Amino acid sequence: MPEFDAKKVTEIHHQLHNHLPSESALRIKALESLLIDKGLVNSQTIDRWVEAYTDVIGPKRGASVVARAWCDQEYKQRLLQNAPAAIDEFGYLGKATGHLKVVENTDRIHNLVVCTLCSCYPFSILGIAPAWYKAAAYRSRAIRDPRGVLAEFGVDIDDDTEVRVWDSTAELRYLVLPQRPTGSDNLDQNALAALVTRNSMIGTDRNLGETS
Amino acid sequence: MDGIHDLGGKQGHGPIDTDEDETAFHTEWEGREWGLAQCARTPGITIDWWRHCRELILPQDYLERPYFDSWAQTDFSTYIESGWISIDEIIAGKSQATDRDYGEAAQAMSLQQVLDEDHDLASRFDAEIDCPPAYEVGQSVITRVHGHGGHTRLPQYARGHRGIIHAHHGAHVFPDLSAKGEETHQHLYSVMFSAVELWGESAANDKVYLDLWESYLSKPES
Repeated sequence: MPEFDAKKVTEIHHQLHNHLPSESALRIKALESLLIDKGLVNSQTIDRWVEAYTDVIGPKRGASVVARAWCDQEYKQRLLQNAPAAIDEFGYLGKATGHLKVVENTDRIHNLVVCTLCSCYPFSILGIAPAWYKAAAYRSRAIRDPRGVLAEFGVDIDDDTEVRVWDSTAELRYLVLPQRPTGSDNLDQNALAALVTRNSMIGTDRNLGETS
Repeated sequence: MDGIHDLGGKQGHGPIDTDEDETAFHTEWEGREWGLAQCARTPGITIDWWRHCRELILPQDYLERPYFDSWAQTDFSTYIESGWISIDEIIAGKSQATDRDYGEAAQAMSLQQVLDEDHDLASRFDAEIDCPPAYEVGQSVITRVHGHGGHTRLPQYARGHRGIIHAHHGAHVFPDLSAKGEETHQHLYSVMFSAVELWGESAANDKVYLDLWESYLSKPES
């Protein structure tokens, strides 16, 4: 059992700083070897987790949910009211989505998601978070200068559009429902899903279907 | 804890790498650490204790080392603090015999078993509590001015500011105590702040929303 001793952990981090190999690959190998030696993990199970988050679980899941919400008003209402149940209609409920909330973009509202304190992300619906989402530049600035951050991603926001930034400080996780592209009336759900970018579901992309 | 992790509103961290490709893992070791973290958690830890152990990484390492590398270092620290592995084993690069019973060796799981487990990981952190919520939607609140030395989810930038209750989410596990191994629940609210209230210079209509526990909040005097 842990002792929940923060002072001890600070000491441990100093020791790790001095004794762990510098290369990340070697550090992770050292951790895996020790845990396998002790029977705490199984190497093949790690392979399967990598496979799951490379081939099965990723932003295509979120894109399918968004496209369905665009095509099916009743589904969209269920998604906005109870996102965990609505994504589980696809079987997409999972890691970090037990308290998922969906926030909707409109002509006058743009939503942007960040985790300033760590790197909270709705894994089972968007997969592995991009490195920039977890890096200091985005975490520090998205909350204070969202329009500047959006400009960096090539997204210009009108002065009269309200920007709402959601800081994931609790176990709730946020998924942005982007706007359906104009001129997409003749597209079916699969074709629409192909237009949904990962960044649009985080909020760092807005005008889908436009070539930039 | 007013640590290096509390990055909201800090300036000078440079441009964002907006050209990053969308592959899940950029190196093999990132995938290994992701997988390790899914199947190896120190027995008895809480998500909040794990987060706090990550916050306690030396500031220079926290900022400069790669992200998944910091997960590995956090895993090392929680295993060492709990006595499951030792610094000596890390220095020697191999495990040493101990009296500890590590139980049955972990079995290989199939892809379907892993996907089923991911589905089961949709953890809920809410619970019914006897105490009614102190605030209702639309009410003004003031956030606590001071932090404390332990784990907390009230960022520095949002302290001592006036906001409005946007939504009530029921009672959720309170992270400040969960990081010490104590499971208690408090009412949790989405609180809306005007960006101008938090930052001074901002677009007049822009808003910032945080999910905050009841004890982070108080009623304004006027």
